[in-house]
Amino acid sequence: MLEATGLVKRYGQVTALDGFTLSVAPGEITGLVGHNGAGKTTFTRIVAGLAAPDDGHVTIAGLAPRRALRLIGVAPQEISLYPAVTVGESLRLFGGLHGLRRKRLAAAISEVADVLCLGGFLDKRIASLSGGQQRRAQAAVALLHRPPLVLLDEPTAGVDPQTRQTLIAELRQRAADGAAIVYTTHYLPELADLQATLAVARNGRVIARGPADQLLAGLPGQVTVDLGDEVLRVSATDTAATLAQILTTISKPLRGVSVTEPSLDDLYQAVASAA
Amino acid sequence: MPHDGSSLKASALRLAAMTRHNLLLRRRDPANLITYMILPMIGIALFKPMFARLMPVGGTTQDVTGELVLTSTLAVQIVGMSLLSERTWRTWEMLRATPATAAELLTGKAVPVLAVLLLQQAVVIGYGVGVAGLTVTGPPFLLLLAMLVWSVTLLAAGSLLATLVTSHSQLAMLTDIGAIMLSTLGGALLPVSMMPAIAQHLAPASPGYWAIGMLKAAVRGDAAGTLGPAAILGGIAIAAGTIACLRLRRGLAQLRS
Repeated sequence: MLEATGLVKRYGQVTALDGFTLSVAPGEITGLVGHNGAGKTTFTRIVAGLAAPDDGHVTIAGLAPRRALRLIGVAPQEISLYPAVTVGESLRLFGGLHGLRRKRLAAAISEVADVLCLGGFLDKRIASLSGGQQRRAQAAVALLHRPPLVLLDEPTAGVDPQTRQTLIAELRQRAADGAAIVYTTHYLPELADLQATLAVARNGRVIARGPADQLLAGLPGQVTVDLGDEVLRVSATDTAATLAQILTTISKPLRGVSVTEPSLDDLYQAVASAA
Repeated sequence: MPHDGSSLKASALRLAAMTRHNLLLRRRDPANLITYMILPMIGIALFKPMFARLMPVGGTTQDVTGELVLTSTLAVQIVGMSLLSERTWRTWEMLRATPATAAELLTGKAVPVLAVLLLQQAVVIGYGVGVAGLTVTGPPFLLLLAMLVWSVTLLAAGSLLATLVTSHSQLAMLTDIGAIMLSTLGGALLPVSMMPAIAQHLAPASPGYWAIGMLKAAVRGDAAGTLGPAAILGGIAIAAGTIACLRLRRGLAQLRS
């Protein structure tokens, strides 16, 4: 669905993208992670046709981004909705611009309002909504026309757990229906909930790509053994074998044992520092 | 999937959606429009006795057309704000990420604003006729043409201004100072013939000068006197509109990058 190869984007002296390559298949959720300045937002804007790369190329279902806009649903990082209009009016505008009319538009609004729990807010003005409700409204605009490619740039920044779970559930459903989803975030645990494959960005390029469990496989976990007067802490890639080995060698009574598996945060740290 | 985005029908539907939405935005925030409708009514009433003494013939026409030009030039702020707000709300990017073309988006924004400018002028003329005693001897279409040409000129000037400023306060400053300076120089508050010699020489440099001349001629039914200034204003509108579009395209490119 999305093929981006060797993207380069410079702003004056600053290189935002430096050979950024990423492909996302239909039905795949890709979690795009990285620190500020890694190039995530610039990449999202290029794919959405809002910026042109200085080099490299992008295609969406074989089309250039500006020719594929009807295939894309985008929710930018910052709230970008008209404060003086209601959620329903916002959805009618963007639905209309995506070619939805009358019954199809009404049905699409009803569906997206239902799944994102916005039914009670359709008549509320955007300015009167909480941050989480505004995020849901913005996500609803992105999902309204059932685009085959969804670009969400930190869609859960500053939102409550309920909003996060609601959005994640809907995105998993959309992926199950065949949509390709690029989900940019700093909050790594939600990528596990999304069952996303990861793309780790740093300095304008993707430095690691693959399923989270594969990328985590080579990372060390930690085995902690409490012997009362001393605590043993050992880092190991095979924590079970290491724990078994420790238990066969110690003679003191055990006070406690814990095993910490590598987290997505550990993955990010390891990949980023190795690159 | 929604229908293909390239057909003429699809384009018309997107344009309709954009126009409808911008009419809604105008309805939600009518304060500026109300201001520019009330202000000329007050001005016309206050200056009427003065113009009656100064100009026994044509005083009311001067009063009404002068106030119309002054306040409609101030209303350029509505045009500028309409464009500037899309940037401050970050909604322009959301719009650009839809299949709508830049032409569809800009036309959808321009049509409601043009309607607002025409409405403001129509209300002032209506007040002039109904309350201040303005007599329109010319055909209505000539006056409508004059108002349309002036509205398009203001739309182009406002769009250009919106590409020059970076904040709402800058826009307010430029429109307030510029409108009062240009319309006064053009003869909105006092007929050009009564202004100092240097001002009389400078007056044709102001679009307001041609607007007042055009509107006065339309009121009295002078087609040639209407079309001459209309052509000059049309030229100003084309020049300002072209520069605005070029700057807007560059500005949009910057916004997009």
